[in-house]
Amino acid sequence: MTLGNLRDLYQQVILERYKKPKHKGVTHPVHRQQRGHNPSCGDTIEITIQLSESGDRIEDVKFEGEGCAIAMASADLMAEALRGKATDEALSMVQRFQNMMQGNGDFPIEQRKLNVMQGVSQFPVRIKCATLTWHTLKAALEAPTLAKPEAFVSNE
Amino acid sequence: MAITQAKTIAAQVRADFPILHQEIHGQPLVYLDNAATSQKPIAVLEAIRHYYENDNANVHRGVHTLSSRATDGYEGARDKVAAFVNAASRQEIVYTRNASEAINLVAYAWGSTLRPGDEIVLSVMEHHSNLIPWQLLAQRTGAVLKFVELTETETFNLEQFKSLLSEKTKLVSVVHVSNTLGCINPVQEICAEAHKVGAKVLIDACQSVPHMPIDVQAIDCDWLVASGHKMCAPTGIGFLYGKLDLLRSMPPFLGGGEMIADVFLDHATYADLPHKFEAGTPAIAEAIGLGAAVDYLSAIGMDNIHAYEEELNAHLFRRLREIPEIRVYGPQPQADGSGRAALAAFTAGEVHPHDLSTILDQAGVAIRAGHHCTQPLHRHLKAQSTARASTYFYNTREEIDVFITSLKEAVEFFGDIFG
Ligand SMILES: Cc1ncc(COP(=O)(O)O)c(C=O)c1O
Repeated sequence: MTLGNLRDLYQQVILERYKKPKHKGVTHPVHRQQRGHNPSCGDTIEITIQLSESGDRIEDVKFEGEGCAIAMASADLMAEALRGKATDEALSMVQRFQNMMQGNGDFPIEQRKLNVMQGVSQFPVRIKCATLTWHTLKAALEAPTLAKPEAFVSNE
Repeated sequence: MAITQAKTIAAQVRADFPILHQEIHGQPLVYLDNAATSQKPIAVLEAIRHYYENDNANVHRGVHTLSSRATDGYEGARDKVAAFVNAASRQEIVYTRNASEAINLVAYAWGSTLRPGDEIVLSVMEHHSNLIPWQLLAQRTGAVLKFVELTETETFNLEQFKSLLSEKTKLVSVVHVSNTLGCINPVQEICAEAHKVGAKVLIDACQSVPHMPIDVQAIDCDWLVASGHKMCAPTGIGFLYGKLDLLRSMPPFLGGGEMIADVFLDHATYADLPHKFEAGTPAIAEAIGLGAAVDYLSAIGMDNIHAYEEELNAHLFRRLREIPEIRVYGPQPQADGSGRAALAAFTAGEVHPHDLSTILDQAGVAIRAGHHCTQPLHRHLKAQSTARASTYFYNTREEIDVFITSLKEAVEFFGDIFG
């Protein structure tokens, strides 16, 4: 078996994050939340976001879900990279991640951890595993308020 | 002796399947996704090519020579299918695009007779194809769905099934061989029990018709459906078997050309069976391909195919047991490989099926990962998804060994990190 190729896909960091995610759970409070689902394989994800008081900065992101190593590691690395980011910057990172999956470009040095996902671009059928979390995040951020508005207010 | 015979089958037929002789990522292809679709032998490919190169014309519509040849090919294939499943009459075989369409045909054409409170009995192991059409029918008519659950060994719970039956039961629709559990359901007994309360029975035979001899009269089912693409035929063709009187009593499903007798502006009379259910220009080449596939399988002999797959199955399960992390769903086979289908849906400890499938693909091994269109069953089994290796008569023991070796490597690869 050509394990070399697989080492590109399953970088040590990815396997470690799959085994021991650092950002699994639910934010306190929850200002945005979104479920994501990959019907073809059954992967599920639920993203929660805590925003700054002004609402334009991400304080914290957490995820819950079940899925493959690629999907789970991608969610964990994303959550880490987004802490403290302005929401519009987060949205441009979604685009950058998608581009990277198409083999176009990567992340700058301060976000280079996300570049361990680059190997996925060599495995086209697995790209949707890596991008599920980013799609879900985008939907969460683009929602004007939390689906359950009282939670947004009472937790604030 | 059985083994010599068995080796002969796969060894003899492999040359008939050009697709099997290729490398994937530098490794010989090991195709173990046969439950999703089978590969096609040259005989089938040639039949389709021959039809297009020599006989192509529309069927039932012309008196010219090509049209008559096309019609003969198309209808001749129907005779082959009828004989293959031992239908009492060729009129009992209706071509459809696939099994899903055949089930929908019954759900629409027969299902409209149902009334609120009528009951439809299904099982939790059904493929979405044998679930969604009945959900839709229940929504249209107010009929109620009831579900047969699993026994402790993850097989069809016949006792519980019997307890679900009553005079309210109008239909039982169940899978013959589960594409996930691999269990072989007691369809003969299911039909007998259902008929006692006056219910009709549809058998989803997608995973049995390609692998074992099927006799619809012995089973005594009211309908039986299968897809050609899982039995060496092309995609786009499948069939519905139905008892003659029952098919006669059903109104048409789709309207159009081919399915009519006399047409007036405001009404029409319909063609006799089976054409009443075949609206529009059909998949002619595909039907001819299905006929060629039936000839091909019959020449090998369905008994031989079944016996050989049992031997492969014994080997598959013996080898799978070497890996402690592997949990196979469904019943265990007997030591000789009998008692369940030669496929295994499994989980491998911490290794997600999707990752497993990618790793095996690097070794040239094609398996399926996901829910295999049985989401409710996966929920029932508390498995988010499973990996599935499924064999056919062209697979060899050596291929199973390659699969097991790469499976072990994959488990180790992930095991290193999970330690
Ligand atoms: C048991 C079973 N039923 C139904 C189907 C549906 O077959 P098709 O998609 O060809 O209609 C399949 C195949 O996927 C199957 O395995």
